[in-house]
Amino acid sequence: MSALSVILVFLGYFLLLSFLGTAAEYIDRKLYARMQNRIGPPWFQPYADLIKLAAKEDLIPEEANSAMFKFMPVLAMTAVLTAYLHIPLWNSTPLISFNGSIIVIVYLLTIPTLTFFLGGWHSTSLYSMIGAVRTLTQLFAYEVPLLLAVLSPAVLAHTWSIADMSEFYSNNPLYALTNSIGFLVALVALQGKLERVPFDMPEAETEIVGGTFTEYSGRLLAMFRLAIDMEVIVGASLIAAVFLPFGLHFGLVIGVILYLIKILFILLLLALLRTVTARLRIEQMVVFCWKYLAPAALAQIFISLTLNWIVK
Amino acid sequence: MARVTIPIGPQHPALKEPESFIVTLNGENIVNLDMRLGYNHRGIEKACEQRTYVQALYLLERVCGICSHSHSSCFIQAVEEIAGLQLPPRAVYIRTLIAELERVHSHLLWLGVAGHEIGFDTLLMYSWRDREAIMDLFASLTGNRVNYGMNTLGGVRRDFTKEQLTEVLKVIDICEERTKYYIEVCTQEPTVINRLSGVGTLSHDDAVRLGTIGPTGRASGVNKDVRREDPYLAYGDLSFNVIVDNHNDVFGRAVVRLLELMETYKMIRQIIAKMPDGPITVKAPRKVPAGEAFSRYEAPRGEDTHYVKGNGTDKPERVRVRAPTLANLQSVAKMLENNNLADLPIAIAAIDPCFSCTDRMIGTISSTGARDSIRWDNMRNYSIKWYRKQGIDFTDLNRKLAKKQE
Amino acid sequence: MANEETIKTELSRKFSFLADKIVIQRVRRIFVDVPQERFHDVCEFAAKKMEFSNLCIITGLDDGDNLQFIYHLARMDGIVLNLRTTAPKSNPVIKTITDIFPGGVIYERELIDLLGAKVEGIPHGKRYPLPDDWPANQFPLRKDWKPEMLEGLSGRKEEAKNG
Repeated sequence: MSALSVILVFLGYFLLLSFLGTAAEYIDRKLYARMQNRIGPPWFQPYADLIKLAAKEDLIPEEANSAMFKFMPVLAMTAVLTAYLHIPLWNSTPLISFNGSIIVIVYLLTIPTLTFFLGGWHSTSLYSMIGAVRTLTQLFAYEVPLLLAVLSPAVLAHTWSIADMSEFYSNNPLYALTNSIGFLVALVALQGKLERVPFDMPEAETEIVGGTFTEYSGRLLAMFRLAIDMEVIVGASLIAAVFLPFGLHFGLVIGVILYLIKILFILLLLALLRTVTARLRIEQMVVFCWKYLAPAALAQIFISLTLNWIVK
Repeated sequence: MARVTIPIGPQHPALKEPESFIVTLNGENIVNLDMRLGYNHRGIEKACEQRTYVQALYLLERVCGICSHSHSSCFIQAVEEIAGLQLPPRAVYIRTLIAELERVHSHLLWLGVAGHEIGFDTLLMYSWRDREAIMDLFASLTGNRVNYGMNTLGGVRRDFTKEQLTEVLKVIDICEERTKYYIEVCTQEPTVINRLSGVGTLSHDDAVRLGTIGPTGRASGVNKDVRREDPYLAYGDLSFNVIVDNHNDVFGRAVVRLLELMETYKMIRQIIAKMPDGPITVKAPRKVPAGEAFSRYEAPRGEDTHYVKGNGTDKPERVRVRAPTLANLQSVAKMLENNNLADLPIAIAAIDPCFSCTDRMIGTISSTGARDSIRWDNMRNYSIKWYRKQGIDFTDLNRKLAKKQE
Repeated sequence: MANEETIKTELSRKFSFLADKIVIQRVRRIFVDVPQERFHDVCEFAAKKMEFSNLCIITGLDDGDNLQFIYHLARMDGIVLNLRTTAPKSNPVIKTITDIFPGGVIYERELIDLLGAKVEGIPHGKRYPLPDDWPANQFPLRKDWKPEMLEGLSGRKEEAKNG
């Protein structure tokens, strides 16, 4: 690929992802509102928010490390976008594919969390620092269950490439059903990664004002917001690709429709989880992740290994 | 993480009114809590001394937005005692009805706030939606959603028709249904229980020692309710249970309030069934004789007390207000010992604080209208100095600022 | 009224000087005038021996030459014992009752701020409810205090000038 086409592809993906991300934010907010008996925002609300934020002044705290402070939102967005390039969407071939891509995706998705931590830490506000520490604590809690949950389908498919995995499962759809525990674990862990209720301690407004984002404003905050919106889509796509690899061989139109339906389904589950729970305390979250989520993910791997053994 | 001191307030998303809590943290654990109250001091007690009884009545109704009827009833009760006025029975029942409806809307409000503090916004949206029914009911009964203005010296200002009372019963039925659902939510939803139980513990002995009252005290086994012990209005004629709980924590406080709601619905039905006919006011003198009275009233948040002293003129000599929050606030520091920072908002919210009620008096705006204008950098310096005094460390910031000024 | 009478006799038996100072105002309301020097004892006796374990509030009044303090103590059966004591305005010193009622500290701080009472033995702590820069010797609840007396005294103004 020439340099120009690389740039164009990146730009195209960026536009696509921002569009999907803002749409996801709207759908999530609307679902959340309807489930709470509210009317909810109009469809253009996410855009209105972003435009309004972009028009505001960027305030950078005097004590903050200004380079880090400004760089973090960009890094978060880039990392999310790069991860998106590796995930198969409406067919089983992503833009970039190699053996081991699934590990790369999971680690690329860790970068936004680290940027939240660094951004919060470098803004030197007391609230941000507490939020940053919580972000990091939380990372250690959900990352392992998430990784384990995503690995077990790979164990079953005998490959570390997400493309080959999709291929394997769309040829043997019944196998995908055996991964249902992993699917649930991954959903909950994704909720933690996205820092949404019940795992929104890093930005719990009633405790630490805005947490990591307390000092962010204007365009920088808009970028963070957009990165989080994108992360929702990327996370949902990852789960859809790994756990719901159905109907990848019906051509572009049906493939895209199916992809959107899968994403919607995952969004619905995430919004539901957010509606029916209260925010946990940080130590309750850690205990929950290590006591229930991680063993459940391990059990899933065990099931996959057993299946492998039986089939052999 | 080393020890850090962070300010919760005077302006903070968890506090609906300005009060300052300076919290010292060890990691996420609270090791010390320092309270500074008084931001809402509006000089109401002093202002009452310069107003006639009726004017003071309306002023006192505005001590608090939520328990407005409590304050006005408590005050007028004391004045009527001094003046020796005997209220017509219908007026007594109407006052009681409004008082109990107020309890419903206050407790539902609390439930929503509690939900919000623990990040459970769905509960907030649900309970405030149901609270709207009560607010609309108030609008149709009294003409106002808050600050009903129902009381007047010697009676009440509005009479209710039969249809209005049937409407009340209808709304109460709906609310009762919903309250049952909330009881289920609060006692069964695991994340809610996780966030509420074992949080903000206040032992029975501490509760008694610190004089904790109202639902906060009752959740620590303090079996106290002015409605039963010192019956006022029509409470002597009503049968109801005082809800006491021994959980000693925020969970207990939620349970007490929710079960109290069920009792309240029972009482409202009794009040409407027993509502006597007749006039709603007696003629009251403009001047109230010299004398003093101490009046107690079970507001939704706990015991409200007013002391009124009359000197024979149409203005009171002294009015003293003690809102329930003032008595309960002192237990907050005890509740928060060794708790998690995450529990601070809910533990504070669990006493159902109303800082406006608590403070009541003054502003430094001078009477001639010449306000001090403070420039932005002066204001900033002032705040930095203030926070430094409270032990909050912005040292680097101060150093840079000092350098700039040189 | 039987309970109220019992309280009256019990109090006057224990403290003979109170005999003609106890007034039963109405059902469940008793007012007692207590001399300042014996106030703490009476208060302690009422709280520990007669179960008046709940301090509702302390009311402070300005009645010309003296400051009056009324301690409203409540009991489980709804009886309120109102103990009244006075101190001269020139030297308004009272003893703290926080050793009996730890919850009373905030009411005493109000007396200090708003009426200028001097409370002996009150635990250290932040003032309440007036602002930190409230000028000294300005006690808003005294009858001779007018809002005009604040004119030109605002501490914030000076702070602003000094930068």
